[in-house]
Amino acid sequence: MAISVNGTDIPVPDDPRVSLLDLLRERAHLTGTKVGCNQGACGACTVLLDGERVLSCLTLAVQADGRSVTTIEGLGDGAALHPMQQAFIDHDGFQCGYCTPGQICAAVAMLRELQGGVPSYVTADLAGQGTVTAEEIRERMSGNLCRCGAHNGIVEAILQVAKEQAA
Amino acid sequence: MTEATSDYARPTALPEALALLAAGPRTVLAGGTDLYPATQAQRLAGPLLDITALDGLAGITAGPDGLRIGAGTTWTALAEADLPPALVALQQAARLVGGRQIQNAGTLGGNLCNASPAADGVPPLLVLGAEVELASVRGVRRLPLERFVLGVRKTALAADELLTAVHIPAAALAGRSAFVKLGARAYLVISIAMVAVRIVAERGQVVEAALAVGACSAVARRLPAVEAALVGAPLSEVAARITEAEVAAALSPIADIRGTADYRLEAACVLLRRAVTQALPVEEPA
Ligand SMILES: Cc1cc2nc3c(=O)[nH]c(=O)nc-3n(C[C@H](O)[C@H](O)[C@H](O)COP(=O)(O)OP(=O)(O)OC[C@H]3O[C@@H](n4cnc5c(N)ncnc54)[C@H](O)[C@@H]3O)c2cc1C
Ligand code: FES
Ligand code: FES
Repeated sequence: MAISVNGTDIPVPDDPRVSLLDLLRERAHLTGTKVGCNQGACGACTVLLDGERVLSCLTLAVQADGRSVTTIEGLGDGAALHPMQQAFIDHDGFQCGYCTPGQICAAVAMLRELQGGVPSYVTADLAGQGTVTAEEIRERMSGNLCRCGAHNGIVEAILQVAKEQAA
Repeated sequence: MTEATSDYARPTALPEALALLAAGPRTVLAGGTDLYPATQAQRLAGPLLDITALDGLAGITAGPDGLRIGAGTTWTALAEADLPPALVALQQAARLVGGRQIQNAGTLGGNLCNASPAADGVPPLLVLGAEVELASVRGVRRLPLERFVLGVRKTALAADELLTAVHIPAAALAGRSAFVKLGARAYLVISIAMVAVRIVAERGQVVEAALAVGACSAVARRLPAVEAALVGAPLSEVAARITEAEVAAALSPIADIRGTADYRLEAACVLLRRAVTQALPVEEPA
């Protein structure tokens, strides 16, 4: 009964009603993951569960038993920032920074989905392999809100990482 | 931990889940994307049955009598499945439910059981003549979707029953469908109106039409009179045959904070015309 969080095993809580979000923040003291609405609407609590983006406020910790969670603290390799973190800095992808950990985790998973050829509602050419456009990014990042309105910088940051990865 | 907080079960076998439901009232938890917002509290209360680990509840299988979609199938799994063109509407709806994180957790079964008038899964299933499969220790029964969703937050689900699957009959897998939704802004919205249509065309004419409108009445509805008027129409005339008078007669639209009845009626007509145009086969240039 353990959850691997950024590579370290954390015991599953005895209380089955503890959310993954509370486990991360209150018990593992990984406060990079933020609490926004606590009900699925804002995306601030986004983390990666076995590489897929999930809302940790809507996930019970017990549901992550035996699985692997990556939070904003675990994205970089300890010394260097993850390219997505660097790109957010380069393009002013935030103001207050509250939505940023969720935005970055979501963006990392989103690029993988896009490059894996997973279509979105706005993908016109379903056969075309994941073209990275601003429109695609806006559609695919719609589950992450930014009350400061840094969306333009966020889209530019993600476009930069997509370009780097393609090169 | 108190007794009440510990009454949480996450079985892997269906009979175990059904036995728990038969033993007393329990809140079913699937993706939690409707349940948590409705709870308004920090934690879910009362006895819980978490169905996210149940074997065989998720997944889509094809058989001689049609398709079976497990109630635990997520929107992401639906959107990414390889399905016939008649299910395009359901797949488009899947890509428009919340954002990707909601689609990764939220299930088709949860959408139907929650019975919101704005549930995007309902119109695409209505145009497919879908049936729901309900299981309990008493046995398994099937109901047409129209007889399952009864009103706002009201379904035919008994307290000891679990929705286990949705069935699409083979006959409804013909043709092509489309889904169009109108919200107050482009992304992440509750529908003001949404429509699904499925059109079967042969030699330049409509031979079968199924239209459904959601979020305009307490329960999403099919529009049989409008459908009948489309049969036999040459493809170039289909959209024009959708008249406001006929749609109004079938719908009696509701008014609420998201839109007046007149606005909804006009919107429904425009969306229906757009959807049929999307669903029609592309005409070969003469
Ligand atoms: C930000 C956000 C955006 C959203 N956007 C949309 C949208 O655009 N369109 C839309 O239609 N919906 C939307 N929703 C609502 C929701 O995501 C969907 O309705 C979803 O499909 C619900 O599925 P779930 O598995 O999360 O259900 P849950 O929340 O787990 O359950 C919902 C209800 O159904 C019951 N239940 C679930 N599964 C079963 C079962 N198999 N048998 C019996 N009872 C069951 C539960 O007890 C509960 O009462 C949104 C929600 C959020 C938070
Ligand atoms: S805190 Fe989880 S989505 Fe807002
Ligand atoms: S940077 Fe402030 S909420 Fe996004």
